[in-house]
Amino acid sequence: MTQIDWSSILTVAFIGFSLVIVMLLLMVFVMKGFGAVFTHQRKKQSPSQSEVDGETVAAIMTALRLFSSARHDRETEMLTILSIKRAYSPWNSKIHGLTQMPDYRK
Amino acid sequence: MSESLLKFFQETGFAGATWGNIVMILVSFLLLYLAIKHKFEPLLLFTIAFGMLLTNLPGAGMFHSELFAGGHVHWGSFVQNAGLLDYLYLGVKLGIYPCLIFVGVGAMTDFGPLIANPKSFMLGAAAQVGIFLTFIGAIALGFTPAQAGSIGIIGGADGPTAIFLTSMLAPELLGPIAVAAYSYMALVPVIQPPIMRLLTTKKERMIKMEQLRPVSKTEKILFPIVIAVIISMLLPSAAPLIGCLMLGNLMKECGVVDRLSKTVQNELMNIVVIFLGLTVGATATAEAFINLKTLGILLLGVVAFAVGTSGGLLLARFMNLFLPEGKKMNPLIGAAGVSAVPMAARVAQTVGQEANPSNFLLMHAMGPNVAGVVGSAVAAGILLSFLG
Repeated sequence: MTQIDWSSILTVAFIGFSLVIVMLLLMVFVMKGFGAVFTHQRKKQSPSQSEVDGETVAAIMTALRLFSSARHDRETEMLTILSIKRAYSPWNSKIHGLTQMPDYRK
Repeated sequence: MSESLLKFFQETGFAGATWGNIVMILVSFLLLYLAIKHKFEPLLLFTIAFGMLLTNLPGAGMFHSELFAGGHVHWGSFVQNAGLLDYLYLGVKLGIYPCLIFVGVGAMTDFGPLIANPKSFMLGAAAQVGIFLTFIGAIALGFTPAQAGSIGIIGGADGPTAIFLTSMLAPELLGPIAVAAYSYMALVPVIQPPIMRLLTTKKERMIKMEQLRPVSKTEKILFPIVIAVIISMLLPSAAPLIGCLMLGNLMKECGVVDRLSKTVQNELMNIVVIFLGLTVGATATAEAFINLKTLGILLLGVVAFAVGTSGGLLLARFMNLFLPEGKKMNPLIGAAGVSAVPMAARVAQTVGQEANPSNFLLMHAMGPNVAGVVGSAVAAGILLSFLG
Protein backbone atom coordinates (compact mmCIF):
# COMPACT_ATOMS: atom_id res chain seq x y z
CA MET A 1 0.00 0.00 0.00
CA THR A 2 1.37 3.40 -0.94
CA GLN A 3 2.10 5.93 1.77
CA ILE A 4 -0.55 8.64 2.04
CA ASP A 5 0.80 12.16 1.93
CA TRP A 6 -1.51 13.53 4.59
CA SER A 7 -0.09 17.02 4.55
CA SER A 8 -0.96 17.51 0.88
CA ILE A 9 -4.38 15.85 1.32
CA LEU A 10 -5.26 18.13 4.21
CA THR A 11 -3.95 21.12 2.28
CA VAL A 12 -6.17 20.27 -0.72
CA ALA A 13 -9.20 19.84 1.56
CA PHE A 14 -8.54 23.01 3.55
CA ILE A 15 -7.69 25.23 0.59
CA GLY A 16 -10.55 23.75 -1.44
CA PHE A 17 -13.15 24.47 1.23
CA SER A 18 -11.66 27.90 1.92
CA LEU A 19 -11.92 28.73 -1.79
CA VAL A 20 -15.60 27.75 -1.83
CA ILE A 21 -16.21 30.01 1.17
CA VAL A 22 -14.22 32.91 -0.29
CA MET A 23 -15.91 32.71 -3.69
CA LEU A 24 -19.40 32.57 -2.29
CA LEU A 25 -18.53 35.31 0.23
CA LEU A 26 -17.51 37.42 -2.73
CA MET A 27 -20.92 36.68 -4.25
CA VAL A 28 -22.57 37.85 -1.01
CA PHE A 29 -20.86 41.24 -1.31
CA VAL A 30 -21.60 41.51 -5.02
CA MET A 31 -25.27 40.70 -4.49
CA LYS A 32 -25.50 43.00 -1.45
CA GLY A 33 -24.14 45.81 -3.62
CA PHE A 34 -26.60 44.86 -6.30
CA GLY A 35 -29.48 44.85 -3.84
CA ALA A 36 -28.48 48.22 -2.40
CA VAL A 37 -28.39 49.83 -5.84
CA PHE A 38 -31.72 48.41 -6.94
CA THR A 39 -33.51 49.06 -3.64
CA HIS A 40 -32.22 52.65 -3.72
CA GLN A 41 -33.43 53.08 -7.30
CA ARG A 42 -36.85 51.67 -6.45
CA LYS A 43 -37.21 54.02 -3.48
CA LYS A 44 -36.27 56.97 -5.68
CA GLN A 45 -38.78 56.00 -8.31
CA SER A 46 -41.74 55.55 -5.96
CA PRO A 47 -41.19 57.32 -2.63
CA SER A 48 -44.83 57.00 -1.64
CA GLN A 49 -44.70 53.18 -1.77
CA SER A 50 -42.44 52.93 1.24
CA GLU A 51 -45.04 54.66 3.38
CA VAL A 52 -47.57 51.87 2.81
CA ASP A 53 -46.67 48.86 4.89
CA GLY A 54 -47.72 45.27 4.24
CA GLU A 55 -50.52 45.28 6.80
CA THR A 56 -52.17 48.31 5.21
CA VAL A 57 -51.99 46.67 1.81
CA ALA A 58 -53.52 43.49 3.27
CA ALA A 59 -56.35 45.51 4.89
CA ILE A 60 -57.11 47.30 1.59
CA MET A 61 -57.08 44.03 -0.32
CA THR A 62 -59.40 42.38 2.23
CA ALA A 63 -61.82 45.33 2.02
CA LEU A 64 -61.82 45.16 -1.78
CA ARG A 65 -62.38 41.41 -1.65
CA LEU A 66 -65.32 41.79 0.76
CA PHE A 67 -66.77 44.57 -1.37
CA SER A 68 -66.55 42.59 -4.59
CA SER A 69 -67.88 39.39 -3.04
CA ALA A 70 -70.90 41.30 -1.64
CA ARG A 71 -72.00 42.11 -5.18
CA HIS A 72 -73.85 39.16 -6.58
CA ASP A 73 -73.29 38.17 -10.16
CA ARG A 74 -75.81 36.22 -12.16
CA GLU A 75 -75.11 32.62 -11.31
CA THR A 76 -74.98 29.73 -13.73
CA GLU A 77 -78.15 28.10 -12.37
CA MET A 78 -76.48 24.81 -12.80
CA LEU A 79 -76.45 22.38 -9.92
CA THR A 80 -73.62 19.95 -9.67
CA ILE A 81 -73.83 16.96 -7.43
CA LEU A 82 -70.57 15.34 -6.67
CA SER A 83 -70.59 11.70 -5.82
CA ILE A 84 -68.44 11.03 -2.81
CA LYS A 85 -67.06 7.65 -2.03
CA ARG A 86 -65.97 7.10 1.50
CA ALA A 87 -63.93 4.21 2.76
CA TYR A 88 -65.88 1.73 4.83
CA SER A 89 -65.94 2.34 8.55
CA PRO A 90 -68.33 1.08 11.24
CA TRP A 91 -69.06 4.77 11.93
CA ASN A 92 -70.54 5.35 8.48
CA SER A 93 -72.05 1.92 8.02
CA LYS A 94 -75.78 1.86 7.48
CA ILE A 95 -75.94 -1.66 8.82
CA HIS A 96 -75.00 -0.41 12.27
CA GLY A 97 -77.01 2.80 11.98
CA LEU A 98 -80.40 1.44 10.93
CA THR A 99 -82.77 -0.25 13.32
CA GLN A 100 -82.17 -3.94 13.06
CA MET A 101 -85.04 -6.37 12.95
CA PRO A 102 -84.98 -8.47 16.08
CA ASP A 103 -84.18 -12.12 15.64
CA TYR A 104 -87.36 -14.09 15.36
CA ARG A 105 -87.22 -17.02 17.70
CA LYS A 106 -89.55 -19.91 17.28
CA MET B 1 -30.57 -32.72 -32.39
CA SER B 2 -29.33 -32.87 -28.82
CA GLU B 3 -26.07 -31.27 -29.93
CA SER B 4 -28.01 -28.41 -31.54
CA LEU B 5 -30.04 -27.94 -28.39
CA LEU B 6 -26.89 -27.99 -26.28
CA LYS B 7 -25.26 -25.45 -28.57
CA PHE B 8 -28.34 -23.25 -28.38
CA PHE B 9 -28.36 -23.48 -24.57
CA GLN B 10 -24.67 -22.60 -24.41
CA GLU B 11 -25.37 -19.49 -26.47
CA THR B 12 -28.16 -18.30 -24.17
CA GLY B 13 -27.53 -15.91 -21.36
CA PHE B 14 -28.47 -18.57 -18.79
CA ALA B 15 -25.36 -20.62 -19.62
CA GLY B 16 -23.04 -17.64 -19.42
CA ALA B 17 -24.54 -16.10 -16.27
CA THR B 18 -22.18 -15.56 -13.38
CA TRP B 19 -23.23 -14.99 -9.80
CA GLY B 20 -22.10 -11.37 -10.26
CA ASN B 21 -24.57 -10.90 -13.15
CA ILE B 22 -27.38 -12.38 -11.09
CA VAL B 23 -26.64 -10.17 -8.08
CA MET B 24 -26.50 -7.06 -10.26
CA ILE B 25 -29.76 -7.97 -11.98
CA LEU B 26 -31.34 -8.34 -8.53
CA VAL B 27 -29.90 -4.95 -7.51
CA SER B 28 -31.41 -3.40 -10.65
CA PHE B 29 -34.78 -4.98 -9.73
CA LEU B 30 -34.49 -3.46 -6.26
CA LEU B 31 -33.75 -0.01 -7.72
CA LEU B 32 -36.64 -0.35 -10.17
CA TYR B 33 -38.89 -1.27 -7.26
CA LEU B 34 -37.73 1.76 -5.25
CA ALA B 35 -38.20 4.06 -8.24
CA ILE B 36 -41.62 2.74 -9.31
CA LYS B 37 -43.22 1.82 -6.00
CA HIS B 38 -41.68 4.40 -3.66
CA LYS B 39 -40.94 7.10 -6.28
CA PHE B 40 -37.30 7.49 -5.13
CA GLU B 41 -35.95 10.04 -7.65
CA PRO B 42 -37.79 8.01 -10.31
CA LEU B 43 -36.67 10.03 -13.34
CA LEU B 44 -33.07 9.01 -12.87
CA LEU B 45 -33.14 5.97 -10.61
CA PHE B 46 -35.53 4.26 -13.01
CA THR B 47 -33.30 4.79 -16.06
CA ILE B 48 -30.12 4.01 -14.10
CA ALA B 49 -31.68 0.74 -12.89
CA PHE B 50 -32.69 -0.25 -16.42
CA GLY B 51 -29.24 0.58 -17.77
CA MET B 52 -27.81 -1.57 -14.98
CA LEU B 53 -30.15 -4.40 -15.99
CA LEU B 54 -29.18 -4.19 -19.68
CA THR B 55 -25.45 -4.11 -19.04
CA ASN B 56 -25.58 -7.14 -16.74
CA LEU B 57 -27.62 -9.38 -19.05
CA PRO B 58 -25.09 -12.13 -19.78
CA GLY B 59 -24.14 -12.46 -23.42
CA ALA B 60 -26.03 -9.34 -24.52
CA GLY B 61 -22.84 -7.25 -24.72
CA MET B 62 -24.70 -3.97 -24.54
CA PHE B 63 -21.86 -1.95 -23.05
CA HIS B 64 -18.12 -2.39 -23.51
CA SER B 65 -16.26 -0.86 -20.58
CA GLU B 66 -12.93 -1.85 -22.20
CA LEU B 67 -13.51 0.84 -24.85
CA PHE B 68 -13.19 3.44 -22.09
CA ALA B 69 -10.47 1.72 -20.05
CA GLY B 70 -7.77 3.88 -18.56
CA GLY B 71 -9.99 6.95 -18.44
CA HIS B 72 -10.02 7.70 -22.19
CA VAL B 73 -11.89 6.56 -25.28
CA HIS B 74 -10.08 3.95 -27.42
CA TRP B 75 -11.25 5.36 -30.74
CA GLY B 76 -9.49 2.68 -32.82
CA SER B 77 -11.55 -0.21 -31.50
CA PHE B 78 -14.52 2.04 -30.71
CA VAL B 79 -15.62 2.37 -34.34
CA GLN B 80 -15.52 -1.41 -34.85
CA ASN B 81 -17.00 -2.68 -31.59
CA ALA B 82 -19.17 0.04 -30.07
CA GLY B 83 -22.91 -0.50 -29.58
CA LEU B 84 -25.77 1.85 -28.79
CA LEU B 85 -24.96 2.30 -25.11
CA ASP B 86 -21.27 2.88 -25.92
CA TYR B 87 -22.19 5.69 -28.30
CA LEU B 88 -24.61 7.21 -25.80
CA TYR B 89 -21.98 6.93 -23.04
CA LEU B 90 -19.79 9.38 -24.98
CA GLY B 91 -22.12 12.10 -23.72
CA VAL B 92 -21.13 11.24 -20.15
CA LYS B 93 -17.48 10.63 -20.96
CA LEU B 94 -17.12 13.99 -22.69
CA GLY B 95 -19.07 15.81 -19.95
CA ILE B 96 -21.93 16.79 -22.28
CA TYR B 97 -25.02 15.42 -20.50
CA PRO B 98 -24.42 16.94 -17.03
CA CYS B 99 -23.94 20.35 -18.63
CA LEU B 100 -27.10 20.02 -20.72
CA ILE B 101 -29.01 18.99 -17.59
CA PHE B 102 -27.64 22.06 -15.85
CA VAL B 103 -29.11 24.24 -18.63
CA GLY B 104 -32.51 22.72 -17.83
CA VAL B 105 -31.96 23.02 -14.07
CA GLY B 106 -31.06 26.69 -14.53
CA ALA B 107 -34.23 27.27 -16.54
CA MET B 108 -36.31 25.72 -13.78
CA THR B 109 -34.61 27.54 -10.89
CA ASP B 110 -35.79 30.77 -9.34
CA PHE B 111 -32.81 32.57 -7.86
CA GLY B 112 -35.10 35.29 -6.45
CA PRO B 113 -34.85 34.15 -2.79
CA LEU B 114 -31.05 34.07 -3.08
CA ILE B 115 -30.90 37.54 -4.64
CA ALA B 116 -33.23 38.89 -1.94
CA ASN B 117 -31.12 37.38 0.85
CA PRO B 118 -27.49 37.09 -0.30
CA LYS B 119 -26.44 35.75 3.14
CA SER B 120 -27.89 32.47 1.88
CA PHE B 121 -24.74 32.08 -0.22
CA MET B 122 -22.79 31.45 2.98
CA LEU B 123 -25.14 28.67 4.05
CA GLY B 124 -24.73 27.09 0.63
CA ALA B 125 -20.96 27.34 1.03
CA ALA B 126 -20.90 25.92 4.57
CA ALA B 127 -22.90 22.87 3.49
CA GLN B 128 -20.06 21.97 1.10
CA VAL B 129 -17.90 21.06 4.12
CA GLY B 130 -19.31 17.55 3.71
CA ILE B 131 -17.53 17.24 0.35
CA PHE B 132 -14.10 18.05 1.72
CA LEU B 133 -14.36 16.09 4.98
CA THR B 134 -15.59 13.06 3.04
CA PHE B 135 -12.66 13.53 0.67
CA ILE B 136 -10.34 13.11 3.67
CA GLY B 137 -12.37 10.12 4.92
CA ALA B 138 -12.19 8.43 1.51
CA ILE B 139 -8.41 8.84 1.43
CA ALA B 140 -8.26 7.23 4.88
CA LEU B 141 -10.27 4.27 3.53
CA GLY B 142 -7.67 3.71 0.80
CA PHE B 143 -9.16 5.50 -2.22
CA THR B 144 -6.88 7.50 -4.51
CA PRO B 145 -7.17 11.32 -4.32
CA ALA B 146 -9.09 11.43 -7.63
CA GLN B 147 -11.51 8.74 -6.45
CA ALA B 148 -11.82 10.44 -3.05
CA GLY B 149 -12.75 13.75 -4.70
CA SER B 150 -15.45 12.00 -6.74
CA ILE B 151 -16.83 10.30 -3.62
CA GLY B 152 -16.75 13.56 -1.67
CA ILE B 153 -18.87 15.34 -4.29
CA ILE B 154 -21.78 13.05 -3.32
CA GLY B 155 -22.07 15.43 -0.34
CA GLY B 156 -22.91 18.19 -2.81
CA ALA B 157 -26.24 16.36 -3.29
CA ASP B 158 -26.23 17.32 -6.91
CA GLY B 159 -26.49 14.45 -9.40
CA PRO B 160 -25.22 16.14 -12.59
CA THR B 161 -22.28 17.68 -10.71
CA ALA B 162 -21.36 14.30 -9.19
CA ILE B 163 -21.55 12.60 -12.60
CA PHE B 164 -19.58 15.40 -14.28
CA LEU B 165 -16.74 15.28 -11.76
CA THR B 166 -16.64 11.49 -11.51
CA SER B 167 -16.55 11.05 -15.29
CA MET B 168 -13.51 13.34 -15.31
CA LEU B 169 -11.67 12.07 -12.22
CA ALA B 170 -12.67 8.46 -11.57
CA PRO B 171 -14.87 7.03 -14.36
CA GLU B 172 -14.42 3.51 -12.95
CA LEU B 173 -16.57 4.56 -9.94
CA LEU B 174 -19.30 6.26 -11.95
CA GLY B 175 -21.96 3.57 -11.40
CA PRO B 176 -21.71 3.28 -7.60
CA ILE B 177 -21.31 7.05 -7.13
CA ALA B 178 -24.34 7.89 -9.29
CA VAL B 179 -26.47 5.29 -7.52
CA ALA B 180 -25.32 6.54 -4.10
CA ALA B 181 -25.87 10.22 -5.03
CA TYR B 182 -29.39 9.73 -6.37
CA SER B 183 -30.41 7.26 -3.66
CA TYR B 184 -29.33 9.60 -0.88
CA MET B 185 -30.97 12.58 -2.60
CA ALA B 186 -34.20 10.61 -2.50
CA LEU B 187 -33.56 9.85 1.16
CA VAL B 188 -33.04 13.51 2.16
CA PRO B 189 -36.38 13.53 4.08
CA VAL B 190 -35.11 10.56 6.08
CA ILE B 191 -31.46 11.59 6.60
CA GLN B 192 -31.87 15.28 7.41
CA PRO B 193 -34.67 15.65 10.02
CA PRO B 194 -32.91 13.77 12.88
CA ILE B 195 -29.75 15.85 12.33
CA MET B 196 -31.82 19.05 12.19
CA ARG B 197 -33.54 18.23 15.48
CA LEU B 198 -30.27 17.18 17.10
CA LEU B 199 -28.35 20.33 16.22
CA THR B 200 -31.03 22.95 16.91
CA THR B 201 -33.19 23.84 19.88
CA LYS B 202 -36.97 24.02 19.62
CA LYS B 203 -36.77 27.76 20.27
CA GLU B 204 -34.48 28.16 17.26
CA ARG B 205 -36.69 26.01 15.06
CA MET B 206 -39.64 28.26 15.96
CA ILE B 207 -37.95 31.43 14.69
CA LYS B 208 -40.07 33.25 12.15
CA MET B 209 -38.17 35.07 9.44
CA GLU B 210 -39.21 38.41 8.00
CA GLN B 211 -40.62 38.50 4.50
CA LEU B 212 -38.07 38.64 1.68
CA ARG B 213 -37.81 41.86 -0.28
CA PRO B 214 -39.25 41.87 -3.79
CA VAL B 215 -36.69 41.27 -6.53
CA SER B 216 -36.96 43.21 -9.77
CA LYS B 217 -36.80 41.63 -13.19
CA THR B 218 -33.60 43.54 -13.98
CA GLU B 219 -31.89 41.98 -10.96
CA LYS B 220 -33.02 38.53 -12.03
CA ILE B 221 -31.65 39.11 -15.53
CA LEU B 222 -28.32 40.52 -14.36
CA PHE B 223 -27.78 37.81 -11.72
CA PRO B 224 -26.94 34.89 -14.08
CA ILE B 225 -24.69 37.11 -16.20
CA VAL B 226 -22.75 38.43 -13.21
CA ILE B 227 -22.39 35.01 -11.55
CA ALA B 228 -21.31 33.32 -14.80
CA VAL B 229 -18.68 35.98 -15.48
CA ILE B 230 -17.26 36.24 -11.95
CA ILE B 231 -17.14 32.52 -11.10
CA SER B 232 -15.91 31.46 -14.54
CA MET B 233 -13.15 34.09 -14.45
CA LEU B 234 -12.06 33.07 -10.96
CA LEU B 235 -12.43 29.34 -11.49
CA PRO B 236 -12.38 28.36 -15.18
CA SER B 237 -12.79 24.64 -14.38
CA ALA B 238 -16.26 25.41 -12.96
CA ALA B 239 -17.24 27.33 -16.12
CA PRO B 240 -18.99 24.42 -17.92
CA LEU B 241 -21.37 23.77 -15.03
CA ILE B 242 -21.90 27.34 -13.83
CA GLY B 243 -22.05 28.67 -17.40
CA CYS B 244 -24.74 26.17 -18.41
CA LEU B 245 -26.71 26.71 -15.18
CA MET B 246 -26.73 30.45 -15.71
CA LEU B 247 -27.48 30.13 -19.44
CA GLY B 248 -30.66 28.21 -18.61
CA ASN B 249 -31.59 30.72 -15.92
CA LEU B 250 -31.07 33.68 -18.24
CA MET B 251 -33.31 31.99 -20.84
CA LYS B 252 -36.06 31.84 -18.23
CA GLU B 253 -35.62 35.30 -16.74
CA CYS B 254 -35.09 37.39 -19.87
CA GLY B 255 -38.53 36.43 -21.15
CA VAL B 256 -37.70 36.81 -24.84
CA VAL B 257 -36.77 33.20 -25.59
CA ASP B 258 -39.71 31.39 -24.03
CA ARG B 259 -39.58 28.65 -26.65
CA LEU B 260 -35.96 27.87 -25.82
CA SER B 261 -36.68 28.03 -22.10
CA LYS B 262 -39.57 25.59 -22.40
CA THR B 263 -37.50 23.27 -24.58
CA VAL B 264 -34.57 23.04 -22.18
CA GLN B 265 -36.94 22.58 -19.23
CA ASN B 266 -38.88 19.78 -20.88
CA GLU B 267 -37.86 18.07 -24.12
CA LEU B 268 -34.09 18.53 -23.92
CA MET B 269 -33.96 17.77 -20.21
CA ASN B 270 -36.07 14.62 -20.60
CA ILE B 271 -34.06 13.29 -23.53
CA VAL B 272 -30.77 13.88 -21.74
CA VAL B 273 -32.10 12.29 -18.54
CA ILE B 274 -32.90 9.11 -20.49
CA PHE B 275 -29.45 8.98 -22.09
CA LEU B 276 -27.63 9.90 -18.88
CA GLY B 277 -29.50 7.45 -16.67
CA LEU B 278 -29.19 4.55 -19.09
CA THR B 279 -25.48 4.99 -19.70
CA VAL B 280 -24.55 5.69 -16.09
CA GLY B 281 -26.48 2.56 -15.13
CA ALA B 282 -24.64 0.69 -17.88
CA THR B 283 -21.30 1.38 -16.18
CA ALA B 284 -22.48 -0.53 -13.09
CA THR B 285 -21.19 -3.90 -14.20
CA ALA B 286 -20.72 -6.71 -11.70
CA GLU B 287 -16.93 -6.21 -11.72
CA ALA B 288 -17.28 -2.48 -11.06
CA PHE B 289 -20.10 -2.70 -8.52
CA ILE B 290 -19.73 -5.82 -6.38
CA ASN B 291 -16.73 -5.04 -4.23
CA LEU B 292 -15.87 -3.47 -0.93
CA LYS B 293 -15.27 -0.11 -2.62
CA THR B 294 -18.99 0.19 -3.38
CA LEU B 295 -19.79 -0.45 0.26
CA GLY B 296 -17.25 2.23 1.22
CA ILE B 297 -18.81 4.67 -1.28
CA LEU B 298 -22.32 4.07 0.09
CA LEU B 299 -21.06 4.59 3.64
CA LEU B 300 -19.07 7.72 2.79
CA GLY B 301 -22.00 9.10 0.77
CA VAL B 302 -24.33 9.14 3.74
CA VAL B 303 -21.56 10.65 5.89
CA ALA B 304 -21.09 13.38 3.28
CA PHE B 305 -24.81 14.21 3.36
CA ALA B 306 -24.91 14.27 7.16
CA VAL B 307 -21.80 16.44 7.50
CA GLY B 308 -23.03 18.84 4.82
CA THR B 309 -26.38 19.20 6.56
CA SER B 310 -24.62 19.82 9.89
CA GLY B 311 -22.31 22.42 8.31
CA GLY B 312 -25.24 24.49 7.04
CA LEU B 313 -27.13 24.23 10.33
CA LEU B 314 -24.15 25.17 12.47
CA LEU B 315 -23.19 28.16 10.32
CA ALA B 316 -26.76 29.45 10.49
CA ARG B 317 -26.61 29.19 14.30
CA PHE B 318 -23.22 30.92 14.30
CA MET B 319 -24.48 33.75 12.09
CA ASN B 320 -27.44 34.22 14.44
CA LEU B 321 -24.98 35.20 17.19
CA PHE B 322 -24.24 38.40 15.26
CA LEU B 323 -27.71 39.18 13.96
CA PRO B 324 -30.00 41.53 15.90
CA GLU B 325 -33.26 40.28 17.41
CA GLY B 326 -35.97 40.23 14.77
CA LYS B 327 -33.42 39.69 11.98
CA LYS B 328 -32.32 36.25 13.16
CA MET B 329 -32.64 33.39 10.72
CA ASN B 330 -34.17 30.03 11.40
CA PRO B 331 -31.15 27.66 11.40
CA LEU B 332 -33.21 24.97 9.68
CA ILE B 333 -32.76 26.78 6.39
CA GLY B 334 -29.02 26.09 6.69
CA ALA B 335 -29.70 22.40 6.14
CA ALA B 336 -31.10 23.25 2.71
CA GLY B 337 -27.60 24.36 1.69
CA VAL B 338 -26.89 20.83 0.51
CA SER B 339 -28.40 21.36 -2.95
CA ALA B 340 -30.97 18.55 -3.46
CA VAL B 341 -33.36 21.11 -4.93
CA PRO B 342 -36.14 21.44 -3.85
CA MET B 343 -36.34 18.43 -1.53
CA ALA B 344 -34.01 19.88 1.13
CA ALA B 345 -35.99 23.15 1.22
CA ARG B 346 -39.22 21.20 1.65
CA VAL B 347 -37.67 19.27 4.54
CA ALA B 348 -36.72 22.58 6.22
CA GLN B 349 -40.33 23.76 5.77
CA THR B 350 -41.76 20.52 7.21
CA VAL B 351 -39.45 20.42 10.25
CA GLY B 352 -40.01 24.15 10.84
CA GLN B 353 -43.79 23.69 10.81
CA GLU B 354 -43.52 20.84 13.31
CA ALA B 355 -42.07 23.33 15.81
CA ASN B 356 -44.25 26.24 14.80
CA PRO B 357 -47.26 25.49 12.58
CA SER B 358 -47.57 29.13 11.53
CA ASN B 359 -44.03 29.22 10.19
CA PHE B 360 -43.39 29.29 6.44
CA LEU B 361 -39.74 28.66 5.69
CA LEU B 362 -39.97 27.34 2.15
CA MET B 363 -39.00 30.52 0.30
CA HIS B 364 -36.30 31.34 2.86
CA ALA B 365 -34.89 27.83 2.48
CA MET B 366 -34.88 28.07 -1.32
CA GLY B 367 -32.10 30.71 -1.01
CA PRO B 368 -29.51 28.37 0.57
CA ASN B 369 -30.88 25.55 -1.55
CA VAL B 370 -30.01 27.19 -4.87
CA ALA B 371 -26.81 28.60 -3.33
CA GLY B 372 -25.92 24.95 -2.67
CA VAL B 373 -26.21 24.24 -6.41
CA VAL B 374 -23.75 27.05 -7.13
CA GLY B 375 -21.56 25.97 -4.18
CA SER B 376 -21.35 22.34 -5.26
CA ALA B 377 -20.51 23.37 -8.84
CA VAL B 378 -17.74 25.61 -7.47
CA ALA B 379 -16.48 22.77 -5.24
CA ALA B 380 -16.47 20.43 -8.26
CA GLY B 381 -14.46 22.97 -10.23
CA ILE B 382 -11.96 23.30 -7.39
CA LEU B 383 -11.56 19.52 -7.04
CA LEU B 384 -11.18 19.21 -10.80
CA SER B 385 -8.44 21.82 -10.92
CA PHE B 386 -6.62 20.28 -7.92
CA LEU B 387 -6.98 16.60 -8.77
CA GLY B 388 -7.69 16.50 -12.51
